[in-house]
Amino acid sequence: MSLDGRDGMDGTVVLVDDEEMVLDAIEGFLELETSYRVLGFTSPDRALDAIGEERPEAILADFLMPGMDGIQLLERVRAVDPTATRILLTGYADRDNAIRAINRVGLYHYMEKPWDNEHLKLVIRNGVERSWLFRQLDERLEELESANEELHEIRRRLVRTFL
Amino acid sequence: MTAPGIVVLVVGGVALLGLGVTVGGLWARRRADRLDRRYRDLEREARELREACRELRASYAELQSSEAAQVNDARVSSVGSLVAGVAHEMNTPLGALNASHDTFRRALDRLQDILADERVDPEELEEVRRIVRAVDRTARTQDLAFERLAHVVDELRAFGRPDDAEISVVDLHDGLESTLTVLGHELGDRIVVERRYGDLPPVECHPHRLNQVFLNLLSNAIHAIHGPGTIVVGTDAGDGQVTVAIEDSGVGIPEEDLPKIFDAGFTTRKERKGMGLGLLISQQIVHQHGGRIEVESRPGEGSTFRVRLPVRIPASGARAGGAGEAGP
Repeated sequence: MSLDGRDGMDGTVVLVDDEEMVLDAIEGFLELETSYRVLGFTSPDRALDAIGEERPEAILADFLMPGMDGIQLLERVRAVDPTATRILLTGYADRDNAIRAINRVGLYHYMEKPWDNEHLKLVIRNGVERSWLFRQLDERLEELESANEELHEIRRRLVRTFL
Repeated sequence: MTAPGIVVLVVGGVALLGLGVTVGGLWARRRADRLDRRYRDLEREARELREACRELRASYAELQSSEAAQVNDARVSSVGSLVAGVAHEMNTPLGALNASHDTFRRALDRLQDILADERVDPEELEEVRRIVRAVDRTARTQDLAFERLAHVVDELRAFGRPDDAEISVVDLHDGLESTLTVLGHELGDRIVVERRYGDLPPVECHPHRLNQVFLNLLSNAIHAIHGPGTIVVGTDAGDGQVTVAIEDSGVGIPEEDLPKIFDAGFTTRKERKGMGLGLLISQQIVHQHGGRIEVESRPGEGSTFRVRLPVRIPASGARAGGAGEAGP
């Protein structure tokens, strides 16, 4: 953390909630307290389009939305990009339904409304970091794989040259 | 006639008489026995009837009290779902307010820190601008959340129905017209309103409450129409009664939903602006006037809501009826 209280970490966070006031409240808070790029959507469909293009590290979705609920949305996010961290925001009354569906989506965390800002920040920060580490790991694995292939190629050439 | 002959005759006569009395006595006793049995039978039957009657009365009382319990259950669960609806409706704006208030505090603390420092440099001014942007956004959340909470409280207040509304004798067409004016921007060019007004006598009522009913029914009609459509507002009178009919060319109500439309919490509006109390409140207001609301709907073609009101409020309708049904 830098002196001004910012997180000092980069990353993109997508928020999806059909209630504008919820988006505003979270965006305002994250703008003040972190340096993430925050994209808010009231429409799950538009959020999906953006997630494909922007490759956010974390997605925070409301559970009850008209059209597509948060679980369905996160299920589709998982198909598009499994390394993005998926977080669900639920109203107290929807809790049971949400919990039942959590395993289906491979949820990182679920939060209840009304949420605590400090806790939300922590969850999002850990979620972004987790996704970032996954992607780093992916890259390293790919690098190792291509290095491995190169080694194989070299070995093949050595064998061909000397035998 | 000789003396012995007479004696024989007398003895014979006495014997005959004795026989006759004996036979008669026997017959009478048998008859009495029969009557006695009959009487006992009747008495038993009467006892059985009395018993059956008592049982019937008991089970009738039981039925009555269980019916009362059912009505009470329905009322309790209706209030329960109302309370759950209110809690649900409050949760989102409260959550938003809570979070944005927290952001507000943090931002103010930071601004105060910067302002307390006498050597403010340009870089820090950029930080101040950023904080002000966050505060601005927070204030916007609070506007929206307060507005939503105020709306919920308004609906609740209407449900709890303050008794200050005056009774007067009015032309219902005036109320319909002012309600249509209020809804003007929602009707727009999309919906044509056709007026089929009959001759109405002046009606004794709480005009503001009836306007609320008209507002609710017309607003439902508008929401039932997707795209262009028509709303027909008709009135007529007869037999000491007036009828206001609001007919829309909207989507109609599925048959399975018809019994539920007056329940607390029933709504088809997706934008979550209402709590599904509109029709319940309307029905309550119309009941207070001694009237009723009738619904007719054909899915895909539209719905008609008819408000039937007596020209004069019945003595028992306005107060007693309301006190029993309402209550927060």
